[in-house]
Amino acid sequence: MSDRTDVLQGTLALMILKTLDSLGPQHGYGIARRIEQVSHDALKLNQGTLYPALVKLEQQGWIRAKWGISGNNRKAKFYALTPRGHKQLAAEEDKWARVALVVGRFLTPADGDPS
Amino acid sequence: MTALRRWFTRLSEWRRRRDVERDQAEELQSHFDHLMDDHIHRGLSPAEAQRQANLELGGLDQARALARDARGFRPLEALIADSRLALRQLRKTPAFTLAAVVTLALGVGANTAIFSVVDAVMLRPLPYTDPERVVVLWEEISESLSGPGAAGAPIEPRRIEVAPANYLDYQARVRSFESLAAYASLGRNLTGDGTPERVVVEEVTASYFQVLGVSPSRGRAFLEAENTAGNERVAIISHGLWRQRYGADVDIVGRVIQLDDRSHEVVGVMPADFTGPSPAQQLDPVSVWLPIVFEAEVLGNRMEHIVSVIGRLAPGVTLDTAQRELTAVSEAIGREFPSSETTRAATELLRRDQVSTVRRMLIVLLAAVGLVLLLACVNVAGLLMVRAVGRQREIAIRYALGASRARVLCEHLVQSLMLAGLGGVVGLALGASITRLLVRLAPATIPHIQTAGLDLRVVTFTGIVIVLTALAFGLWPAWHASHTDPIDALKAHDRPAAGGWVLKRRSGLLIAEVAVSTVVLIGAALMIKSLVTLTRVDLGFDPSHVVAASVVLPPTTYPIPGDQLRFFEQLESRLRQEPGVRNVAFGNRLPLRGNWISGMIIDPIDAADAPLQERPTMREAGFQAVNPSYFETMGMSVRAGRGLLPGDVTGSDAVAVVNETFGRLLDGGSPIGRRIRRGPSAPAITIVGIVSDIRRTGRANNEGLRAADVVPQVYLAAAQTHLYPLPLRDVAVKVEATAVGSVQAAIERIVTELDPNQPVTAARSLEATLALGSANNRFQTALFIIFGGVAFGLALVGVYGVVAYGVSQRTAEIALRMALGATRGLVLRDVIGRYARLVTLGVGAGLIGAYLASGLVADLLFEIEPTEPTMYVAVGIVLVASGAAAAGLAARRATRVDPMLALK
Repeated sequence: MSDRTDVLQGTLALMILKTLDSLGPQHGYGIARRIEQVSHDALKLNQGTLYPALVKLEQQGWIRAKWGISGNNRKAKFYALTPRGHKQLAAEEDKWARVALVVGRFLTPADGDPS
Repeated sequence: MTALRRWFTRLSEWRRRRDVERDQAEELQSHFDHLMDDHIHRGLSPAEAQRQANLELGGLDQARALARDARGFRPLEALIADSRLALRQLRKTPAFTLAAVVTLALGVGANTAIFSVVDAVMLRPLPYTDPERVVVLWEEISESLSGPGAAGAPIEPRRIEVAPANYLDYQARVRSFESLAAYASLGRNLTGDGTPERVVVEEVTASYFQVLGVSPSRGRAFLEAENTAGNERVAIISHGLWRQRYGADVDIVGRVIQLDDRSHEVVGVMPADFTGPSPAQQLDPVSVWLPIVFEAEVLGNRMEHIVSVIGRLAPGVTLDTAQRELTAVSEAIGREFPSSETTRAATELLRRDQVSTVRRMLIVLLAAVGLVLLLACVNVAGLLMVRAVGRQREIAIRYALGASRARVLCEHLVQSLMLAGLGGVVGLALGASITRLLVRLAPATIPHIQTAGLDLRVVTFTGIVIVLTALAFGLWPAWHASHTDPIDALKAHDRPAAGGWVLKRRSGLLIAEVAVSTVVLIGAALMIKSLVTLTRVDLGFDPSHVVAASVVLPPTTYPIPGDQLRFFEQLESRLRQEPGVRNVAFGNRLPLRGNWISGMIIDPIDAADAPLQERPTMREAGFQAVNPSYFETMGMSVRAGRGLLPGDVTGSDAVAVVNETFGRLLDGGSPIGRRIRRGPSAPAITIVGIVSDIRRTGRANNEGLRAADVVPQVYLAAAQTHLYPLPLRDVAVKVEATAVGSVQAAIERIVTELDPNQPVTAARSLEATLALGSANNRFQTALFIIFGGVAFGLALVGVYGVVAYGVSQRTAEIALRMALGATRGLVLRDVIGRYARLVTLGVGAGLIGAYLASGLVADLLFEIEPTEPTMYVAVGIVLVASGAAAAGLAARRATRVDPMLALK
């Protein structure tokens, strides 16, 4: 567990929104698997982290939940992005990119400014 | 926006929380199943897959709890759980709950009642347009003709009415007022359309209705042209008169009514809720408004102060500005028209002026009930603390199980709120009935009190009081309970650990409690002493079993003074034939029914016509024309010379009888034989006798702080009608104790027989009239006795509680001492001595507090100082003694314990 990164609140929301954006409607287990795969198992989500985050996103109206049948032929709750969720994702991605750029510049000062 | 939406979602989810939770559980189960599927897929056996999945996911319960928290059920659920727990605990201890609720209900009820009165009298805006701009205006005069004041003390400016000529000048010159209006109250006989009736009439300027911003609900207001002679025969009537006398006639406008045999055309009816600004309206509501007409004679004399004036401040003008301008204008008028008197004009907001006499009383009452509520809070806080000790182990266990401090604090506060809520609801009901009682008991001198009652404002106030109360008595015990140290509490296995702590705190509460009740009781004691002092003031006349009434004969029907005299002489002889009548008096102004002050000239010669000094002296005295049996009827005695005789009639020598104080006006020598005249060319009247002094306006002076002064008084013979200008109007009958009612009826019957168009007014016993004069004192005293009693009771219960608890904590120790040979008396003395010290400390603090606050009640007391030491000593002794008694009572129980049982 020790070498696994703690998921920052907010970052997790962004990852969930992005996952639903690229995979389409997905159940909780699927979302967790996907995030673990994409992060090459650097992130391990347990239920206690994932589901509260899903509840919050649903309450904020960014995702919507609906019961359905999964590929394993099991009953599962599928989450999908709402139009507001799409907008929120775009805004978050934009913000994140800017933060990443600035932080990246700080961390690699040797490259120098292009001025 | 998003936050708001989240809250809405939370709320709606919370409402269907059972569904939501089942949903959640299924989802988590589905997650688990998918994980298991994956493991099986990778080749694990189903049993191994389940084990692995369990390992990876951790407790399902914890996940569920976290998800629930995210949904935001926690605070709401905790609150509901706390409320349930609190309610269960309250139900489990009915004695405690009842004691706390009753205590709080007393405090809240008293506060609700007094606040509803304060609100009605002082806070609610007057029923006029922009009432904060309506002001009263009066004049002040510093001279007095009733002889030099005692020890030549400077004379306080006296508030008098306004001279019409000055009123017109203020109206023309003072820019600060948008408009001014003048009015004068008088009585008129309303005849025709049914039984004759004496009605209160206000003569007003047309601007009266503009100043108040109220128009008639029917018809129109007066026109300015109607304030001139010849156009004044119109009238506006009150809603009450319209309904009662004219059966709410829709065609009332245009009808003609008869007032003192003059006809007036009704042009308007005022709205039902209209009351004029005059303070007298509370007692005798105005029935008819007439246009006022200033006669040239009145306008020519700036010493005729006969009208009341109200005004409306111009927009944006402050009272101070108006007062400054008014002062300047009145000084200018004084320079332009020099006269023998100096008057100054003053103004005040109508609202403040109306309540000026009762303001202090209400504030003091509010403070008193505030203290009672404080006492209630202290008592309940004490009870809660004892409970908190009993629950220490439980709380410690909850901490050990991971309860948060905030949660424990919150639970205690919820319980306090619940108690306060219960007490508050009961208190509100109690307050409603106290308010009704107050309104019924309240003297008519308190304006607007009739409108007091429970309304939204009062309920809101009570709600705030309830919440504050809950915090006041709940916060401290709750804070301490939540700071219980779990280790200590659990270590003390068979007895609560913090008993000593509670005792110390409760000792503090006890001192505070005794101190507060001392303050309230001293207030009550001062009020009682003041009322007793007031009722002991010697009136000089005997008001018992005297029935009085006014019969105001209209000058239109009785134009010659002799006609009026004949009417009253007939009334007297007819009344003497009634059973139960002992004596009959009549005159133009009987005691307690107004006064007639007039200037006079005292001739500078003595009884033997020898000159005493160069010039006659000008003096002022009360005058009264009375029949010969007046002095006997009133229980007065002739001190020198003779009284008035049946032979003193017009045509015989003009005579007068004076009171003892009259001698003050002379430069020595007996008044008998001296001559006075009411004007330079008026006939000389010879003084033939001296009668005893009386306080003719009642026991107290205007402010109610001192005994009324006795002024020099001249009694003329009613049968010498050429000596006085005022009409005869009052009759007083001394009756047997059993005949009060029948004689009252007989007066009306005989008057109607003598003149069917003549109404009788203000028929009541002199004692009833006197009672009106001390109504404020009796009202405030009664309330203080009630609140003082409640405070006293609460304090004693508090003392008892503290001692009983303290003793119960020491049962084992006391048992041990008794087993070792201590006598019961010794133990009792030890316990009482310990608490008597606390009580004494509390009384001491209370006495100091009362002394510091004494200035507050100074204006409510009659002839006693608010720092009167005897009252302080008396209250101190009573409290220390009863406090010790309460402690003794509680301690006795402890000494009854069987040492063997207690030590086991």
